[in-house]
Amino acid sequence: MAALVGAVFLAALGFVARVNGWWGRLPFVDRTRVATDGGHAHEPGSGLAHKPSGITRWLTTVDHKDIGILYGMYGVIAFLWGGVSVMIMRFELFTAAETYISPEMYNALLTSHGITMLFLFGTPIIAAFSNYFVPLLIDADDMAFPRINAIAFWLLPPAALLIWAGFFTIPLDIAISPAQTSWTMYTPLSVEQSNPGVDLMLLGLHLTGVSATMGAINFIATIFTERGDDVTWANLDIFSWTILTQSGLILFAFPLLGSALIMLLLDRNFATTFFAVEGGGPILWQHLFWFFGHPEVYILVLPMMGLVSWILPKFAGRKLFGFKFVVYSTLAIGVLSFGVWAHHMFGSGMDPRIRASFMATSLAIAIPSAVKTFNWITTLWNGKVRLTAPMLFCIGFVANFVIGGITGVFLASVPVNLILHETYYVVGHFHYIVMGMIAFAGFGAIYYWFPIVTGRMYNRKLAKGHFWLSMIGVNITFFAMLLAGYFGMPRRYATYSDFNPELAPLTEITFLHQVMTAGAVIIAVGTILWLLNVVWSWKKGGKVTDPDPWNTKEYGLHGREFAWFEQQLAATDGGETESESAVATDGGADGESVATDGGSEQA
Amino acid sequence: MSDRIFDRETMLDLSVNFIPLGILLFFVLLFLVLAPFPGDPLIVLVQMSLVIIPGIALLMLTYYSGNAIEGSRDDEQAEPGYSEADAEVARSAGEE
Ligand code: HEM
Ligand SMILES: [Cu+2]
Repeated sequence: MAALVGAVFLAALGFVARVNGWWGRLPFVDRTRVATDGGHAHEPGSGLAHKPSGITRWLTTVDHKDIGILYGMYGVIAFLWGGVSVMIMRFELFTAAETYISPEMYNALLTSHGITMLFLFGTPIIAAFSNYFVPLLIDADDMAFPRINAIAFWLLPPAALLIWAGFFTIPLDIAISPAQTSWTMYTPLSVEQSNPGVDLMLLGLHLTGVSATMGAINFIATIFTERGDDVTWANLDIFSWTILTQSGLILFAFPLLGSALIMLLLDRNFATTFFAVEGGGPILWQHLFWFFGHPEVYILVLPMMGLVSWILPKFAGRKLFGFKFVVYSTLAIGVLSFGVWAHHMFGSGMDPRIRASFMATSLAIAIPSAVKTFNWITTLWNGKVRLTAPMLFCIGFVANFVIGGITGVFLASVPVNLILHETYYVVGHFHYIVMGMIAFAGFGAIYYWFPIVTGRMYNRKLAKGHFWLSMIGVNITFFAMLLAGYFGMPRRYATYSDFNPELAPLTEITFLHQVMTAGAVIIAVGTILWLLNVVWSWKKGGKVTDPDPWNTKEYGLHGREFAWFEQQLAATDGGETESESAVATDGGADGESVATDGGSEQA
Repeated sequence: MSDRIFDRETMLDLSVNFIPLGILLFFVLLFLVLAPFPGDPLIVLVQMSLVIIPGIALLMLTYYSGNAIEGSRDDEQAEPGYSEADAEVARSAGEE
């Protein structure tokens, strides 16, 4: 394995060198402001005109919108992989004893679930929205480096294959099995597991980091240099602000993860001692990992907060309350998130004085998070709320953040943490955020921009079913996790039949686990509705001919992306946009305005 | 950061970041007053740096972003992210 890893390093080096050369030889494209890396510069409005057709188009595209769609597809596939793996785990946990799968398989699924959801679903699904919409929102012709943008995406499919490799090799029987390190990859366990599947996973993770860093540099360059003439720092939209902040976080966090992963690979394959007791010690890994890991959670949540800050006002009929508060608090979170990492390590035997410092910074970072919540609530206050599917997901996002955020503040307090650390309480806390917020905002944004991306409308009944099932399922599943944590159920266990009943009462815990499984089934049903809806509507949904499908003009809330959409419609169908009456709804419900999505207006 | 650099309204916008700064300051003072452990200069240095460095970084970023945002403020320009089009204008214009 050592030789193989070495060869992969060399191959990667060679690849980078080649890419460099190839990049330098490219003809420079006419318009310098676009296509700074020779990427294909396209005239705004003539989008599809000179693209190859079929699969070649998707393999060769450097158009930010196409790449956004590719990221989206990728994120959805990863979401399904992560979802299936967690459903298998949840069925296993329905009973206390070992039933369907071995504990080894459980650990493998747990690892795959966590890593897939964070690195292969979370970051890419955000890149889907940012690639498609940031250039439109800041009036840029494309990303600053369209080719680098494409390379960043195309690093991801091999990354997924490497990360999932251990599962693919099970039937081959070649002694490569899936990694069982959990997403935190704590040493010494991750060094001791001699399974080559771990190395493959680490290499795959490394690729995702390279991809994310390339994307981040591209977004920073784009937002700094490609803004339209009338887009300044003062009126940069909130989603682009969060993407800019996120890119800054990625720039400092992911290279660090990359270095730590290489150190881990070296420890595993070349007998270095970075994380060995006689060397840097296992705690070194924890510090390096969480110095990346805490910013990573904000890398995932900040852009989603940006999406909600952008979409929620549209259906509240008012501008975002305290826009500048949201901008400055986003930046504050960005900085402070690098100063709180050891709140994940309160139980590791640090000096109490240093623990106290991390508690202080963790409490401080809760303020800018809470400020945003108040801004969203104030935006809704006295607004004309229209409960469309995107709006429902935004409101669900805010509600779930109240629970997810407050449980986080409790965990940040050292004495509380020492009791709840490594229990299901922690799992409940972060799932309120990763599922209840990150996935929710993603769904909301998909519904909101569905007309722009597909030119069609989704089925709103299914969309609402999707929302309610998700909202109810999330709150059942993850609230039960918080309770199970109070009962002392430790996290990352495949069975719970032989715990000390004094510490973890079996009856209550079994019941809570069954509730969690039931909740997870509800979420799964909702997700299937969503998938069917999106696939069906993309092909067969009613065509959207109204450039303002959400009636935002009425409130003076018409965003640049929909203004762009209007130009597109005008360019492709001639005068068709005139006929307001020909508004396509999702299921031909004539006479009902599409904009309300069936939601009732409330004063 | 004095009132002369930023006007009142801007200070109000920035105040959102003074609250976490205040919390950090509170803890620095608390750690100075309440030190129940035997003094170890190295640890105290680390302890203080962990709170003070993020505070300074936050102050700096707030200052520079405040400058960038206020420096480019122009009452004529469109709202953040919004096209010029609004209720009255039927045909919206995404371009300038
Ligand atoms: C309101 C601010 C927040 C605070 C004060 C906070 C605090 C904490 C603390 C102290 C822990 C460690 C618990 C333990 O292991 O004992 C933790 C875990 C975690 N938090 Fe948060 N959190 C906050 C927001 C977030 C956000 C926004 C996200 C995600 C986007 C998030 C994701 C996570 C994750 C993934 C873990 C578990 C990591 C692991 O051990 O696998 N948290 N949080
Ligand atoms: Cu954290």
